[in-house]
Amino acid sequence: MEILQLFNAGWSFEPWALVFASVLVGAYLLGVGTRLNRHSVLYMSGVLVMLFALVSPLDYLGRHYLFSAHMIQHILLLLIVPLLLLFGIPKSTAEKLLKIEPIGKMMRVLSYPPVAWFLGVGAMWVWHMPSIHDMALNNNSLYITQLVSFVLIGMIFWWPVFTPIENRRLNPLTGTLYLASACLGCTILGMLITFAGAGLYTAYINPVDSAGLLALIRNDLCITPGVDQQIGGLTMWVPGCLIYLSASMITLAQWYGAPDEGVSAARQEAA
Amino acid sequence: MADNKMLIKFFVASESIFFIMLILAYVNFKGTVVDGPTAESSLNPYVTGIFSLFLLASSFTIWLAGKSLRAKNHTMMKVWLLVTIVLGAIFIFGQGREWAGLIEQNITISRNVFGTTFFTLTGFHGFHVCVGLIMLSILLGLALFGDFKGPRSDGVEVISIYWHFVDGVWIVVYSVIYVWAFFL
Amino acid sequence: MSRRLPLVPENTEPLPSLKENQGMLAWVSSVDHKQIGLMYLMVTMVFFVVGGLEALLMRIQLSQPEFNFISPEVYNQLFTMHGTTMIFFVVMPFLIGVGVYLVPLMIGARDMAFPRLNALSFWLVVFGGILIYYSFLTQSGAPDMGWFAYSPLSEKPFSLNKGPTYWALGLLATGISSVASGLNNIVTILTMRTPGMTMRRIPLFVWMILVTSFLLIFVIPIIASAFAMMLLDRLLEATFFTPAHGGSAILWQHFFWGFGHPEVYILILPAFGIISEVIPVFSRKPIFGYEFVAGSTVAIGLLSLGVWAHHMFAVGLGDVTNLYFSLASMLIAIPTGVKVLNWVATMWGGKIIFATPMLFATAFIIEFVMGGITGVAIASVPIDWVVTDSYFIVAHFHYVLYGGSMFAIFAGVYYWFPKFTGRMMSETLGKWHFWLTIIGFNMTFFVQHFLGVMGMPRRIYTYQDFPYWGSMNLISTIGAVVLALSVLVFMWNVHVSRKRGKKAGNNPWDAWTLEWAAASPPAVHNFDLVPPVRGRRPLWDLAHPEQPDEPNAKVVD
Repeated sequence: MEILQLFNAGWSFEPWALVFASVLVGAYLLGVGTRLNRHSVLYMSGVLVMLFALVSPLDYLGRHYLFSAHMIQHILLLLIVPLLLLFGIPKSTAEKLLKIEPIGKMMRVLSYPPVAWFLGVGAMWVWHMPSIHDMALNNNSLYITQLVSFVLIGMIFWWPVFTPIENRRLNPLTGTLYLASACLGCTILGMLITFAGAGLYTAYINPVDSAGLLALIRNDLCITPGVDQQIGGLTMWVPGCLIYLSASMITLAQWYGAPDEGVSAARQEAA
Repeated sequence: MADNKMLIKFFVASESIFFIMLILAYVNFKGTVVDGPTAESSLNPYVTGIFSLFLLASSFTIWLAGKSLRAKNHTMMKVWLLVTIVLGAIFIFGQGREWAGLIEQNITISRNVFGTTFFTLTGFHGFHVCVGLIMLSILLGLALFGDFKGPRSDGVEVISIYWHFVDGVWIVVYSVIYVWAFFL
Repeated sequence: MSRRLPLVPENTEPLPSLKENQGMLAWVSSVDHKQIGLMYLMVTMVFFVVGGLEALLMRIQLSQPEFNFISPEVYNQLFTMHGTTMIFFVVMPFLIGVGVYLVPLMIGARDMAFPRLNALSFWLVVFGGILIYYSFLTQSGAPDMGWFAYSPLSEKPFSLNKGPTYWALGLLATGISSVASGLNNIVTILTMRTPGMTMRRIPLFVWMILVTSFLLIFVIPIIASAFAMMLLDRLLEATFFTPAHGGSAILWQHFFWGFGHPEVYILILPAFGIISEVIPVFSRKPIFGYEFVAGSTVAIGLLSLGVWAHHMFAVGLGDVTNLYFSLASMLIAIPTGVKVLNWVATMWGGKIIFATPMLFATAFIIEFVMGGITGVAIASVPIDWVVTDSYFIVAHFHYVLYGGSMFAIFAGVYYWFPKFTGRMMSETLGKWHFWLTIIGFNMTFFVQHFLGVMGMPRRIYTYQDFPYWGSMNLISTIGAVVLALSVLVFMWNVHVSRKRGKKAGNNPWDAWTLEWAAASPPAVHNFDLVPPVRGRRPLWDLAHPEQPDEPNAKVVD
């Protein structure tokens, strides 16, 4: 029994993940072009991280054995991947995209900060209600919906803060409040999961040991269901929050980097 | 003067942390009750639900009052303020009725953790509703003396933000206490 | 303002001016931010003396093994009241008060956004302090459960006296006051800046007050709800924190430290602000990396909200939890280190003038870094397990709170005293004060690191004659006496300089921020004419029009 076993087991190149990734890549190639630059590198690394989260043992473990693995996958899909994708879209493409009537209209509603905030934080809360999460683990199409919705909702959540169209971004004060309150939302959820006591998610208590990894996880790595749930909750809580925090640092840095127009944007916003 | 509205918005944000802590205390103890009453065994979600509708409606009527203010319709504004106060008072009456019923069955704040957290949470919310009612009554009184001819008034707008907040808190409280216990 | 409303008063009216001959009434009824600020400072001074005397009594009791100077019961009350007083009634109101005085001046405003609310905040602090100290007069004395009031110690069966009730009520009042002043500061800073004073140009002190205010309004409600629950437990026999009746003692700890850790930053961030104002002026250089100082403050503010469980490593939350919190706590060292780097870089190559404010600011950096380093050490779980609840912790937080916050407070008082009173403080007495403080402070608290590692627990009223314990405690007590002496020198200095100090003029330090453009002391309306703001150092730009900080800045009138 070795740790390597974890990495060999369960690479699952499921067709839907590959299709989803190629749709994203295809759309980019069609919409933006094939040139190699900062944007395309960020975008493609976003797609790669997403593929990693979807096909690697992380997915397998998260689905069958470990809540903590699921949570890492979740953080990657909801917070990291959409951010990379969003940074990868050049301004001109975004403007072109928003000019298309139905998309523009939809995004106007979705990217309204309170809506985007509720979607982002709501996705986190709803998908982690024990009953819904257990249901998703047993139902393939619901599981796929869960993962795809993480990526899409993640993009909507980040949109108000990091939209490619810079002058439509929230000003740093509002942006920081937006992110800090989202951080509060995920802190509370993380806290509840961490301190709830083992067995919140029934599927992970006695997993079906289809790949023969259970002995390794329980005996060699000493990850009991309780510890597993704690790692999961804390992953959402601490690193999750650090991502929001770093993001607000980025908004501040960009604000300081931008030229000063003499009258503060924060003031106009406040008025 | 945007100051007043900005103040009340940050105040409401601060208050929501207060309520989040009370709700967390409730959630923390939900399911730890070993003996004695629980939400499931002692509450009636339907009666409280109906009284909640009155509070929700009052959010709508205060919005209408603000609309009348902007339209400089002084009479209608007074009417809507009065309706808001009545609706809020009916909700508080419902709360009092529920509390009285519980206390009759000897379910009090010191009975067990359910009693403790339930009475604290609904009590602090009810206290906020009462404060809102007092402020609304002052508004109405001033309006009857001829104040608030519109189209703008920080007083009315600020109190309506507070009132919406009190209403929003109740939606969360109702979900956490009643919906969770009976409908999930 | 044509839409003036007849019955609801708004704050746009000019405030009533102060009459010369009203005496005390002019102060009690004042809504002027400068008078309220000064009253804050005076009240904190009183509390500082009271809290200091409590500490001195404790140190005398500990000066030798098995000493019988005060009884254990009184000792418990003293350390509880000392901690509570120093945190809630000295450092916090001082920093809020100095903020109330300076923020409007620094951003070129007439007053705070809500002057009456400002007065309410102040009087609530006074009221809270009186409530808490009144408990000494009750039958069984002051609260005796430590400043973090762990349950079940603070609960009915263990504290039958009324102390904890007064304690919770008083702090609840103070908490409401803090939220009110936080709200007031935020609205003032966001909406009342003079034209040209953009958010990127406000003095760093104002930045720190802004971040602190956000912490206040989001963190105080946590403890306010906990106080409310504690009061319900004590008065109505609710069962939040009584394990015997199904409650949870750990819940109190989560609530308390959920507030308590950010509180630490509430106590230190404005102090950082004072230091960030003093160091550039006395190094004759603009601050190095304004953006980094401001940005790292925001980072500290946000990080501080998620690390409280490092106060609870010994509780048994589980290894994983401890590990995560340990890592997150150590992260705070990064933005704090950034600041220290900025201050040192500001001094680097500057023409440093070691006047008393600068002496305290320089000492602040050194002492605070010491406290910071022990802080990173105890963020590591195994070290914390060894030294938790020992004198090592006492030494650590006194290094950050006295060596940090109090040193910055002294720097601030020496720096702004000319603005407050129109007269300079005596440099000679200032130097005496400084060196006595340095000697007394380090003597008192440095040895406590060793005592802690040797196993001396905190909050014990006496100890057995273990090797070196007696001598080290004696050193610490002598240090405390020296420290008390230094405070006497300071108070004498304030008293003498207020009456007979050298006349200061508007800008004795040749500083660059707007408050120095006002008269000393400022007129009731602050400025006759606010100087134009075209950069971060408006008075520099005014004095050196040929060499402005931001040559391309637009002129805003």
